[in-house]
Amino acid sequence: MTLLEVTGLTKRYAGLTALDRVSFAVSEAEILGLFGPNGAGKTTCFHCLSGFAVPDGGRVVFDGRDVTGWPPHRLAQAGIARTFQIVRPFRNLTVLDNVLVALGHRRYERLGALLGTWRGREPRRRALGILERVGLAAEADRMAGLLPLGMLKRLEVARALALAPRLLLLDEPFGGLAAEETAALAALVADLRAQGLTVVLVEHQMRVAMALVDRVVVLDHGALIAAGPPDAVRGDARVVEAYLGTDAVARGH
Amino acid sequence: MYVYTVATLLGIYCILTLGLNTITGIAGQISLGHAAFLGIGAYTAAILTVRHAWDFWPALLAAVAVTAAAGALVGAAAIRVREDFLAITTMGVNFVVVAVFLYFPFFGGAFGIGGIPAPSWPGGSLGKPGLFLLVLAGVLLALGVNLWLLRSWVGLALLATREDEDAARAAGVNVRRFKIVAFTVGTALAGLAGSFYAHFLTFISPEDFGFAFSITILCMLVFGGIGTNRGAILGAGVLGVLPELFRPLADYRMLTYGAILLLMMRWAPHGLLGDESALWRALARRRGAP
Amino acid sequence: MSTLVQQLVNGLTVGSLYALMALGLTMVYGVLRVLHIAHAGVFTLGAYAGLWAFRGSGSFWAALLAAMAAAVLLGLAMERWVYRPLLAKPPIATLIASIGVFIGLEELYRIVAGPQPHGFEVPLALPALRAGGVLVTAPQLLVALVTGVLLAGLWLLLARTELGLAIRAASQDAEVATACGMNTRRVVALTFGVGSALAGAGGMLVGVFYNSVSPTMGSVTAYKGLAIIVLGGLGSVPGTVAGGLIVGVVETLVISLVEFPLPRDAWAFLAMIAVFLARPQGLFSAR
Repeated sequence: MTLLEVTGLTKRYAGLTALDRVSFAVSEAEILGLFGPNGAGKTTCFHCLSGFAVPDGGRVVFDGRDVTGWPPHRLAQAGIARTFQIVRPFRNLTVLDNVLVALGHRRYERLGALLGTWRGREPRRRALGILERVGLAAEADRMAGLLPLGMLKRLEVARALALAPRLLLLDEPFGGLAAEETAALAALVADLRAQGLTVVLVEHQMRVAMALVDRVVVLDHGALIAAGPPDAVRGDARVVEAYLGTDAVARGH
Repeated sequence: MYVYTVATLLGIYCILTLGLNTITGIAGQISLGHAAFLGIGAYTAAILTVRHAWDFWPALLAAVAVTAAAGALVGAAAIRVREDFLAITTMGVNFVVVAVFLYFPFFGGAFGIGGIPAPSWPGGSLGKPGLFLLVLAGVLLALGVNLWLLRSWVGLALLATREDEDAARAAGVNVRRFKIVAFTVGTALAGLAGSFYAHFLTFISPEDFGFAFSITILCMLVFGGIGTNRGAILGAGVLGVLPELFRPLADYRMLTYGAILLLMMRWAPHGLLGDESALWRALARRRGAP
Repeated sequence: MSTLVQQLVNGLTVGSLYALMALGLTMVYGVLRVLHIAHAGVFTLGAYAGLWAFRGSGSFWAALLAAMAAAVLLGLAMERWVYRPLLAKPPIATLIASIGVFIGLEELYRIVAGPQPHGFEVPLALPALRAGGVLVTAPQLLVALVTGVLLAGLWLLLARTELGLAIRAASQDAEVATACGMNTRRVVALTFGVGSALAGAGGMLVGVFYNSVSPTMGSVTAYKGLAIIVLGGLGSVPGTVAGGLIVGVVETLVISLVEFPLPRDAWAFLAMIAVFLARPQGLFSAR
């Protein structure tokens, strides 16, 4: 069953077409890899899906609803959660409170936001449960700004999970992590999928990412150039060219 | 009687710093125009009671409502301009509001509005001690509002907005709405203070509400510890009473405030009693030890 | 027609004074990404230093040099003891500190020189030009001459010297500039020096032009300066010069044509707020 359907997604910045009529679909409980060389439009695509950029054309349909151009907080409330490539914790809040912010997502639109409290036992219990899933329960009462990068990456995931999402958008979750941290996080992502969560993964570290994904979509210069299972895409001539081409340019510098 | 005068003034300062703390300390939206909202509240109360013979209490409510509406407008502006540009926008708002008071005859021009009646109780007029008690109740109300906010999910959303707007949006927080909420609540408190101020002085004029006073309020908040209600109250108390104790300080008030702002930012950005200040941490350790 | 040209001349004069003030703001914003509110204090110091040096020496040019030198010293001191230690702190801390310095300086000028404005009359050896119905007064000619020389000097510095290149690189991207082996600290100090020199000259010229030096003369100018750098695209030197001239001309024209119930500065503030709201990232900026 299709959970997310992207049709003809287009985004221009000051004359530059960052995304050019990109279409793909994500089925329920699959991990889709969104790959491509630097500047291919992955980040723009990611922004359009998470509401941080408004597309100039095309449609995004999530769970049967047209969510094109919705603002981030509405998408978050509707069940699309994202993480940030460069971690963005609420530094002066505790790890637990970071998760609580996202746990409150259903309340912020109602008057009940003024009546209930986030300092009760019940919200704390639920937030601790989420921290346990990502292995951060022991850090619950530390200030988020004091955590090392590996933990902050997991905090990003914890905050996303607190939205009880149906679709999880991961923006380079493995960047800057040590090997064992990467393995642990990859295992967590695989585990989440096994529990029925759908994931879109943007990642540069191909070895980890290719092992994790069920299907791959490759962008280059804002256009979709290949889609399919990892093995098929790996051998695709246009994909090889896109990657090798940029590599050659990079080496030329 | 002098004691009541000073105490009442300190109470008004407290309401102002608590209101600014809602906007700048809790929600992280810097405002350099808080005195303008004090002025809007004061002028509303003064015009209604002097010219339209309103009773003190309905005029108080009107002052709060009008000021909160003006604050909501500025909060809407905070959606488009961020951080330092919000700071200079609010600074501009302060200048414009004072100019309007000064140049529109409706507001009494440079002479302002005089003959503002003392607040009345059903039993008769409130004396100075009565007014002080009223202001004290106002301080408790402002403190209660902030404590309530911080306890509620709204408060958590405001804290998240302060820490990182984009991350807050990704976590389901409607940042725009909560900025307006913060400005509305904070300026409503300034409106409350404005009504008290007008009836306390019985005479108000435009220069009472200038940029310098906005800086004074900010300075009190920074000095006590921005982001905390105890800091807001301590700052208002200490910096409010100092010029009364040391007259020379009153003459060099702005120089002192300027120095405090610079030195606090340089060496003690969390103020005297902020959560991360040396003093507060030492106190927390002592409480935790036994 | 000639009144229109006359207003244009008047507006350009005022505008070039705004530009002198705003250039320091935009350059500092370019390299440090902070709003240097205390720049207004540098501007005012230039006026006072120029006034005192003129009373001592009787020479306009010696006074101008003194104004610029005093401004440079103050600017460098602020860079060293206010901004550099606060670089790692959130921008709000820098801004608050900067405002602290600004109001402290204003108060200091008031204490030292008194709250009343001082006259600053300079006997000028320049003629007044008259063509058709248009009059260019001697002070206007002086302002045009000095700003012209200073702007040409600034252009030479930025376009033709290595330090100028470093400033431009740092305002594009400080990290890259550091990575390319440029000493960013020196570049930042130089930026403060150059910006302050221009503001010092601007302050003195404003004092001479309006024949008045007062402790708070920097406030309104500073506020217009902030709006001008937003108009000009933050960090852009040519944009700021254009922005300054445009604000000067528009202000002069509008005020000569329409009668408002509010003083011109209040309208200036309203216009600035409109600018911030309309285009927070600058009107001429591609970003």
